[in-house]
Amino acid sequence: MKTQSRIDAQTNLILRIHIIWRGLLALMAALSVWMIWARMAELPVWQKILFSLAAILVMVFSSYGAYQFSKHNHSGRMISLTLDYLGFVVCFVFALNVGEFFIGIDALGENFGKGIPYLGITVLGYFLGMLEEYFPTRNNASENSLKTVSKWVMLSGFLLFLWQVKALNGIVYFFGKFAQPGGMVAVIGLMVFGLSLWSMNRPNVAQALNVKTRHEQVINGWLFLSPNLLGFLIFFAGPLLLSFYFSFTDSDAIRTPNWVGFDNYAKILNIKFITLDVPDQLARDVVDIKVYDEVGRFTFGDRGILFAAEDKFFWLALRNTLTFVLFAVPLSVLPALVLSNVLNSKLPGMKFYRAVYFMPSIAAVVGISLVWQWLYNATIGYINYFITLGIEFWNNLFNVAIIDPKIQWVSDEKTALFAIIIIAAWQTMGFNTVLFLAGLQNIPGELYEAATVDGAGAWDKFWGITLPMLAPTTFYVVSTTTIQAMQVFEQVFILMNPPEGPNNSTITLVLYLYRSGFQNFKQGYASAIAWVLFIVIFGLTLIQFQRQRRSSIYES
Amino acid sequence: MNMKSYRLVRFLNNFFVYFILTFFAFIMLFPFFYMLSTSFKIPSDTFRYPPRMLPRDPITMQVDGYDEPLPLYFVDVDGVQKEYALVRSNIKVGTYAPVDNPAAVVDRFISEVKPTGGVMNQQKVVVNGEEVKLFDVEVDGQVVPMILVSQTTVGEFIDPQDPESEPVFQNVRLSEPVENVGWHPENYKEVIELNNLGRALTNTTLVTVLVVMGQLVTSVFGGYAFARLKFPGRDTVFVFYLGTIMIPFVMLIVPLYQLMVLIGWTDRLASLIIPWIFTAYGTFLMRQHFITFPKEIEEAALLDGASRFAILKDIIIPASIPALATQATFTFLYAWNSFIWPLVIINVGNEKNHVLTLALNVLRGRASDTPNLILAGAAIAIVPPLIVFILGQRFFVESVAGSGVKG
Repeated sequence: MKTQSRIDAQTNLILRIHIIWRGLLALMAALSVWMIWARMAELPVWQKILFSLAAILVMVFSSYGAYQFSKHNHSGRMISLTLDYLGFVVCFVFALNVGEFFIGIDALGENFGKGIPYLGITVLGYFLGMLEEYFPTRNNASENSLKTVSKWVMLSGFLLFLWQVKALNGIVYFFGKFAQPGGMVAVIGLMVFGLSLWSMNRPNVAQALNVKTRHEQVINGWLFLSPNLLGFLIFFAGPLLLSFYFSFTDSDAIRTPNWVGFDNYAKILNIKFITLDVPDQLARDVVDIKVYDEVGRFTFGDRGILFAAEDKFFWLALRNTLTFVLFAVPLSVLPALVLSNVLNSKLPGMKFYRAVYFMPSIAAVVGISLVWQWLYNATIGYINYFITLGIEFWNNLFNVAIIDPKIQWVSDEKTALFAIIIIAAWQTMGFNTVLFLAGLQNIPGELYEAATVDGAGAWDKFWGITLPMLAPTTFYVVSTTTIQAMQVFEQVFILMNPPEGPNNSTITLVLYLYRSGFQNFKQGYASAIAWVLFIVIFGLTLIQFQRQRRSSIYES
Repeated sequence: MNMKSYRLVRFLNNFFVYFILTFFAFIMLFPFFYMLSTSFKIPSDTFRYPPRMLPRDPITMQVDGYDEPLPLYFVDVDGVQKEYALVRSNIKVGTYAPVDNPAAVVDRFISEVKPTGGVMNQQKVVVNGEEVKLFDVEVDGQVVPMILVSQTTVGEFIDPQDPESEPVFQNVRLSEPVENVGWHPENYKEVIELNNLGRALTNTTLVTVLVVMGQLVTSVFGGYAFARLKFPGRDTVFVFYLGTIMIPFVMLIVPLYQLMVLIGWTDRLASLIIPWIFTAYGTFLMRQHFITFPKEIEEAALLDGASRFAILKDIIIPASIPALATQATFTFLYAWNSFIWPLVIINVGNEKNHVLTLALNVLRGRASDTPNLILAGAAIAIVPPLIVFILGQRFFVESVAGSGVKG
C-alpha cells in the first residue's frame, strides 16, 4: 500500500517494539491471573475474581491490539493508547499510594494552618493579575509589569506556603519511599507506559497507523473525560452497585458477607393489620410479639385496627419522615412563593432582601441546629420568651387570661418533630424564594398587560397567569425540597438528645439507616433501608412529575 | 381615580410590602444575631431570664479596705435605688415567730440567735403535732422564745463611696447587678485553643480547598468533553451521568465506607477529599455552560493549530470565570458544611482529623452548660461561608436562579 511505503525505518522499529510490548503485556496479564489463584490465598474470592477479570481483559485486548498493529489498523493504536493510559493511571495512583501521599494529607493538616496566610498572599497575587481585566490600561508596558508582579507575588506566596507547611520534608519522604520494591515497580511502570504513550503519539507513528482527523476528537474526548469518569465509576457507580449487592447480604463491614436473598427487605416490609375487638386491647393478645411490635393503632368508635411490624423502628421512621416532608415542604414552599411575588416588585432594596433570605441556606446545618437548640430552650430561650411576650400583650389588650404554655420544644414528643420542621422550613425558604423569583422574572410582561386590558384584578392575574406559568419552577422547587426533606438527619442528630427523640418521635429514615449501619453495624440491612428510601423518594418525585405534566397539558 | 388617593394607595401598598419583607428578614437574621451576641457573653449572662441581646458584664469597683474589686448591685436604701458593693454573701437569715402568734415574724441573723436552754439541751415545743426547736430571739431589748419559720441567705452591701456607713442586707440573687455592655472575644480563643476548633478549622479549610480545586479540574475537563468533543459512547455516558444526579448521597455511605475500609482510608482526611472531587452534577453544570460557548472561536483556534488543551486553558476557562466561581462556591459550601460522611468515616477519638462539623458535635456534648462557647464554635463554622457568600453573592444567587429554571 501507498501509506506503508512512506514509513521510515525509525517508525517501523517503534511499531515492531510496540507489537512485542503488546504481546509482553498480554503474557504478563496471563501470568498475573495464574499468580492470583496460585499464590495469593489470603485474598477474598471476590477480589480474586475482580482482579482476574481485569487481567483477562488486558490480556485479550493487548493481544488483539498486537494483531491490529501488524495490519496497521488504527484500532490497534486506540487499544494501545487506552491500555497504556489505564496502566499509566494505575501506576500513578500506586506510586502516590507507595509514597503515602493520600495518608500524608493528614500530616499536611498539622501544618496547614501556618501556611494559610501565605496561601492568602498567593490568591492576592492572582487577583492582582486580574486587576488589569477590570481596569484596562492602554499602556501595554504597565499591563505586562502588573502581570509580572502578580506572577512573582503568586510564586513567592506559594513557595513561602510550601515552606511553612514543611512541604520539603514531605517531598523527601515521598521520594524516599521509591527505594522500596513497590516504589521501584511503580516507577518502572510509569516509565514504560509513559514511553509507550509518548511514542504512540508521535505524528509519524500515528500516520503509519492511518490516523484520521476524527480520531483526534475521540482520543481527546475520552482523555478529558477519563479522570472524571474513572473517579465516578470508582466512587459512585461502583459503590451504588455494591450497595445493591449488600442489601441482599448480612454484611457487617468486618466479616465476609453472606447472601441472604430477600431477607432484609422481607424484614422491613413484614407488617400486619389486625382488627381489634376493643380499642385498647393489648398487642400481645392478637399478634405474636416475638416477631411483631406494635407501631400504632387507629380507633373508630369502639373498634380499632392495630398496626404491627417486625421492624417497628423502620415504620416509625417512615411515619416521622413522611410527616416531616408533609409539613416542611409546604412551610418552606408557600411562604417562598408569597415572598418571591413581593420581591418581584420593582421597589428599591429588593436585592438586599433577597440576599438576606438566602443566608440561612448557606450556613452549616450543624451550626444552625446548635443555635436553634438554645432558641428552643424552654426556660431561657427566645422563642418561649417571644411567646410569653405575645400572650402578655394579648391578655392585656383583650383583658383575657390565656395561660403561657411554656412549651418544652425538644423534650415533648408532641412538639419535637415540629421543632425540626420549623428549622428546616426556615433554612430552605430563602433558597426557594430565589428559585421562584427567577421563575417569575421569566414570565413575559405582555401577558400581564394583556390581562390588565381585559380588566383582570391582581388576584386573577396571580391565579390565571403567575401560577400556571410558574408550574415548571414549582415542580423543580417542590421536588428538590422533597428529596432533601426525605433525607433529614443532621438537625435531628444535633438537636435531639438522644437523636431519636422522646418516645422515638424524631427517628427518621436516614437516622435509622445510620443507626443500623454504623452503630449496630448491620450494614446489609442498612443498605436495604437505603434502597427502600430511594424507592420512596423516586415514587414521590414521579408523582409530582405526573401532576406537573398533567397540569401543563391543561395549559396547552 | 384622583391623584391623591392613588398616591395614598401606592404608599400604603409599598409600606405593606416593606413591612412583610422586613418581618421575614428579621426572622431570617435573628438566629444569626442571637448566635453572635451569645458567643460574646459570659456564661452567667447566657442563662439570664428574660434574655437580652447585647452581652453584658457586671461592674466591679475597688473599695477602700478590700483587696479584691467588689461587684456592684442596685440596692434599695430608704426607697431610693443606689449602687452598692457586695461585701459578703451567703449570710444566713432566719425568720422567727413566737409560738402563740405566728404572724408576728422577725428576721434575725442565724449566727446571732442562741438556742433556748443552750446548745446541749435545747427546749422544744410541739406545733401541729411536730416537735420544733425553740430559740431566744431579742425583740425590743426583750428575749422571747421563738420558732424558726423559714431561712434564707442574704448579702451584705455597702456604699462604695462611704464604706463605714450602715450596710444594707438583701437577697443577692434577686438583686439587680449593675452592668455595662461588654464583649468577650476570649470565648473564641477558648474554643479554638482548648476545644480543638482550631485544628478542625484548619482541616476543614484544607479539605474544602482541595475538594474545590479537584472538583473544578475534573468537572471542567469532563464538561468540556461532553459539550464539545464528539466521540462514540459520549451520549450514553452522559445519560448515565444525568440519571445519577437524583440519587441521594445516603445511598452510598455504606458501600463507600466499606471501600474506604478496604483501601485503608478510614479516619483519614483523604476519605473526605478524594471521593468528592468527582461529581456528576458539577460536570453536568459545566457542560451546560460550555455548550453555550460560541463554536466559531474554537474552530478558528483549531485551524491555527492549537491543541484542545490550549483552547480550554487560554480561551474557554478565562471566559468562564463567573461559571467557575459559582461552581466553586457551591462546592465550597457543600464541602464545608458536610456532616454525615465525616461522622461515619472519622472516629470520635481521632480529634486530629476532625472537621468543624465534627468538632461542633463533640463541643455540644462537652460544653453543654456553656452556650457562649458552643455558639462561638457555631459562629466559627457559619461565618466563613457567609463571607464567601457575600463576596460571591452576585454570581451565586443569579446562577442558583438560572439552574432552577433550566431544571
